[in-house]
Amino acid sequence: MKLLRNQTWKENVTGYLFIMPQLVLFLIFIVYPIIEGIRLSLYKVQYQQETFVGFQNYSTLFHDPVFFKSIVNTIIFVVFIVILTVGFALFVSSAVFDKNAKYVSFIRGSYYIPVMVSMVVMSMVWGFLLNPANGLISYAAREMNLSTFNLLGNKNTVLPVVIFVTFATNVGQAIILYIASMIGVPKDLFEAAEVDGASRVQVIFQILIPLVKPTTIYITIINIIAVLKIFVVIQMLTGGGPNNATVTMMYYLYNNAFKYNQLGVASAVGVIMFIITLLLSVPQLRAMFKER
Amino acid sequence: MRNKRLSTVASFLLIIALLAGCSSNSASSGTDKGADTAASGKKKVEIALWLTPQWKGVFDATEADADYDSFFKYAADKFAKQYDKYDVKVNVQVVAGDQRDELLNVNLNGGTPPDVFFESAFAMGDYAHRGALVPLNDIVDDAAKKDIDQGYWDNVTYGKDIYFYPFSHNPGTFAYNADMLKAAGLESFVGGDNEIKTWTMDEYNQILKGLKENLPKDKYPNAYPMALYALNNQGDTWNLAYLRMFGSKFFDDQGNIAIADEKGIQAAQWLKDIYKAGYTNPGAESVSSNDANAMFQNQQLAISFTNAILFNNAKADMNAGKSPKFDIRLANIPSISGDPLTFTYVVGASVFKSSDATKTEVAKDFVKFFSSDPELVKASKNSIPVRSSVVAELKSQYPLFSAYDANAPHMFSFTGNVPGYSELRQVLYPELQAIYVGEKTPEQAMKDYQTKGNSVIQKARESSVLK
Repeated sequence: MKLLRNQTWKENVTGYLFIMPQLVLFLIFIVYPIIEGIRLSLYKVQYQQETFVGFQNYSTLFHDPVFFKSIVNTIIFVVFIVILTVGFALFVSSAVFDKNAKYVSFIRGSYYIPVMVSMVVMSMVWGFLLNPANGLISYAAREMNLSTFNLLGNKNTVLPVVIFVTFATNVGQAIILYIASMIGVPKDLFEAAEVDGASRVQVIFQILIPLVKPTTIYITIINIIAVLKIFVVIQMLTGGGPNNATVTMMYYLYNNAFKYNQLGVASAVGVIMFIITLLLSVPQLRAMFKER
Repeated sequence: MRNKRLSTVASFLLIIALLAGCSSNSASSGTDKGADTAASGKKKVEIALWLTPQWKGVFDATEADADYDSFFKYAADKFAKQYDKYDVKVNVQVVAGDQRDELLNVNLNGGTPPDVFFESAFAMGDYAHRGALVPLNDIVDDAAKKDIDQGYWDNVTYGKDIYFYPFSHNPGTFAYNADMLKAAGLESFVGGDNEIKTWTMDEYNQILKGLKENLPKDKYPNAYPMALYALNNQGDTWNLAYLRMFGSKFFDDQGNIAIADEKGIQAAQWLKDIYKAGYTNPGAESVSSNDANAMFQNQQLAISFTNAILFNNAKADMNAGKSPKFDIRLANIPSISGDPLTFTYVVGASVFKSSDATKTEVAKDFVKFFSSDPELVKASKNSIPVRSSVVAELKSQYPLFSAYDANAPHMFSFTGNVPGYSELRQVLYPELQAIYVGEKTPEQAMKDYQTKGNSVIQKARESSVLK
């Protein structure tokens, strides 16, 4: 028995050694900061000293209406951006995946260009376009006598604008993944459907969408996690305004950490975000392990 | 079997290489780059100086290659040549004003603050309260105390110690486009070339109305009477001044905000009214002071905020052909009492605490040098010199110096010297946004600002290291 265990250990040691460098980096750069973040969330951090305050930072958070607003905004962003991304990507990919290769490449390329452009640049360009005082869109609106026109200054329009800008920048990635996955669906299924006289809509809903489900799950999870951390667009386009209408959890964290110098409160936000992300990843991880 | 052994050995080598890479890296980053000994025999010391954009050029924006860091590069060079203690290199970096606190907080928490920071003292006061700055009492001599008026020293003294070495001051006013006022038939309100015109509140309202109704659309398309902005905390001192227009004292005797009184609410209501009447640029809630300044320079705004440095920079841009040329003049922010509302920023250098005593010593020596060298202090003419000797020498060339001087009795302290001022600035603009988008009444917004602001001040007071 002992011999057997020894042998297994010997067999496995190479494997462990191979993952060791990554594991060491993972421990230093991921696990340690998480632990440090949790520790800081229980402290009041000042320049010269750290004082243990228990859960006071969390209680500060739960008494701040802006924090709740940031949670609601983040949820709105996640729900709408993810639904739009998945829906639109499915629509475009299922429309083009079986067309001629050059056409597919063209579509793929066109939607992918915004993904390659930095989010900062995209946000700045949108910022220039939407600037209420001298932006192009506001200017055009004024020329057409639409009176004052400030999409970023109106709390009813600012969320849709941010959602659209983020969606437009992100959707290319999802389209690429869907097209790749749809091209991989066995051709005989489509042929069988054709023989049975299925319409294109039926093919898409009965064959294509169920068969690319793993991709849908992957895109959904990846996008949820990405949108939970939405920050750049907010920082560049709205600064969280007007009157905190676009503050997200990440932006709230950033403000506390770097503008208000409340590192403890910021860490508490970080811990809460970490827990939410962890909970959201559970279905994905479970699905992965089930496949084994 | 052999293969397996080979791969085991290979992976070990990989780990060792990786660890060696890490350790050699940390070894090199651990050594103090600034502590080598130079060929001259003097110990080499590198210090970092950061500044926010102030004036361009060493002494004047008309110099070739004039930029925001020109003065400090020149001063560093002059300093290094005459300094006998160490071989000094000063790394000068210009940082954006709206990113200052983010950059400093990140670097303070990471243990890498700059050695010297040149900026308006009001924006940096919190760092003194937090214990991040070194007192500068020992580099201020009697000659400096005599030459610089006590009022400026009061501005840079926190608790018992001096934390900033005053270099110049930067009074805030309105700038207006005299051509636009004339085009709208408002000649009678235009002041002299070297005057800071004082309008009454009624006159000011007339000017705004006149500009809105009579500004020729063909000559000034897409133009508005007055700049109004509330995107972020930049330029918020003017917003604070507007809130005092109807006589509110802003702070009570205990150093708490007391703006939610009748006068404060009246002022907030006035801001809302001129905004709704179209007397300002649209979208104030998402326009920044930078946007407003650019619009003013492009003749899209007739009246905008300015300070001495911005005013000189605007003139320099016009002369260099970088922006359209027009007749730019100064006016005071009006108030209901008829007296002008004026404030000033004392601009100067502060020294951050460092674990390296040599760096602190050099940083202090450098600050003393450029803040007192007879040639270098003349650069303060780009705003207004704090040294009476410099004012006396240059008064005849710069007639505006006396105009600013005449304003001095109407000066108000916009910070109230309260702790937590940086965070306090973050509380005002969301409330102004709420007024402009109609989410809150001026009364509600002022009440909320007062409550939130006072809680910020209270918290900062509790954690201040200065008692």
